[in-house]
Amino acid sequence: MSDSAGTILLRDVWNDNPVFRQVLGICSALAVTNLLANTLFMCAGVTIVTAMSNLTISLLRNYIPKRIRMIVQVLIIASFVMMVDIVIRAVAPDIHRFIGPYVGLIITNCIIMGRAEGFASQNRPLPSFVDGLASGIGYSMILIAIALVREPMGFGTVLGVVLPAREIWWHQWTIMVMPPGAFFMLGVITWFARNRLEKSTATEAK
Amino acid sequence: MNKSSPGYILAFIIALSVVFGFGISFVNYATVDLLKKNEALHRNRVISSAFMLSVSGNNAADYEGAVKKEIRPFSLTARGKTIQGYRHTATGNLGFVFSGTGFWDKITGIIVLSPDLSTVKNIHFLDQKETPGLGARIEEPQFTAQFRGIQPAWDRPETERIIIGASPDPGAKNRVDAITGATQTSIALMQALNRELAAFKKAYSQRESNTP
Repeated sequence: MSDSAGTILLRDVWNDNPVFRQVLGICSALAVTNLLANTLFMCAGVTIVTAMSNLTISLLRNYIPKRIRMIVQVLIIASFVMMVDIVIRAVAPDIHRFIGPYVGLIITNCIIMGRAEGFASQNRPLPSFVDGLASGIGYSMILIAIALVREPMGFGTVLGVVLPAREIWWHQWTIMVMPPGAFFMLGVITWFARNRLEKSTATEAK
Repeated sequence: MNKSSPGYILAFIIALSVVFGFGISFVNYATVDLLKKNEALHRNRVISSAFMLSVSGNNAADYEGAVKKEIRPFSLTARGKTIQGYRHTATGNLGFVFSGTGFWDKITGIIVLSPDLSTVKNIHFLDQKETPGLGARIEEPQFTAQFRGIQPAWDRPETERIIIGASPDPGAKNRVDAITGATQTSIALMQALNRELAAFKKAYSQRESNTP
C-alpha cells in the first residue's frame, strides 16, 4: 500500500515480471513477436490499457459496488481496448491487419484483470497508474527481447530494415517466423531471466 | 448511500456505460476520415498488387492514380449478386472480387485471370479473419504465389476446378498446396473460389455474347 513508485516499478518490471515470473499474457507474447513493429504496437496497447484501466478503477474504487466490481472492471478494460483498437486501425492499418485479433484479446489479458483486481481496486490512483505502467513495461520488455531475436533470424531485418550485408552471412531460420520459434525463444528468455533473478536474490541474501 | 442497493448498482452501471460509450464514440468519430482513407488505400494497393501494377510505397495518391489509369472497373450480375470486376487495359487480364465464408468469418479477395480465363495470374486478399498463424497464412506470399500460372479445370465439375490440397494427381495444373494446420480454411477458400469462378465465368460469357 505504501510502496514508492520506484519500488512498484522494479517489482512489476523485474522481480514479479508478468511474463517470466507470473506466466501471464503468453498468448500474445507468442503470436505477435515475429516482427518488432507488430510487437511495439501490441506492447503500447497493453501498457496504455493496463495503466489507464488501473487509474480509472482506482479513481472509482470507493464508488464501485463490491458485488459487481468484476463486471465494472471488464467494462472499463473493454472500453479502453476498443479505443486503442480504433486508434491502431486508424494510424497503422497494415499492422492492425496482423495484430487486430490480438488487440481485441487484450480484454482477456490476465495481466490487466490481475492488476485491476489485485492492486488498483485497493490502492490510490497514482500508485495504481504506476503499477499498470510498470506491468505493461515488464510485459513489453520480454516481448521486445523475443522479437529482437525472431525478426532478425526469421526475416533478416529489424523493424523492416535489412541487416547489413545480409546476403553474405544470413541464413533464414524459418522456424523463428513460425509459432514454435516463439515457444523456443520464450523458454530461453524465461530460463535466462529467472536464472539472473535467482542469482541476484541469492547474492542479496548473503 | 447504500452501494448494494439495486437502484445504486443500476444507476452506476448506466452512468459508467454512458461515459465510456461516449468516449468510444468520440474516438471513432475523430478517426472516421482516416479509417475511410486507409480503406481506400488498402483496396487500391490490393488491386495494384493483384494486377502487378508498377507502383509502390505508401502514397495513397500514387495507388489511386495507377488504378485509375490502368484498370477499368465493371460489374456483372450472377445468381442475384453483383460481381465487381476489373480489366487491366494493357494486358486485358480480368480480375474480380470474390468472397466466401472462411473458418471464422468472411474471406474477401481479388483473383486475376488471363483474358481467356484459362490461367490464374494472381490472387490477393482484401480481408480475412482466419486464425492468426494458421488460416491467416492464406495472405502470405508463399501461399498466394502458388496460384500464379495454375489453370482452372473448366471441364471438371464446379467444385474441382481449382484444388487446394490433396489431389489424385499431385502434378495437376489446377492444384496448389493447402496450409498445414488450416485444413478448414483451405477447404473454405477452395469452395468459395470455385463457386465464385463459376459465377464470374457464366456472367462474363453472357456479357461478351450480348456485346455486339
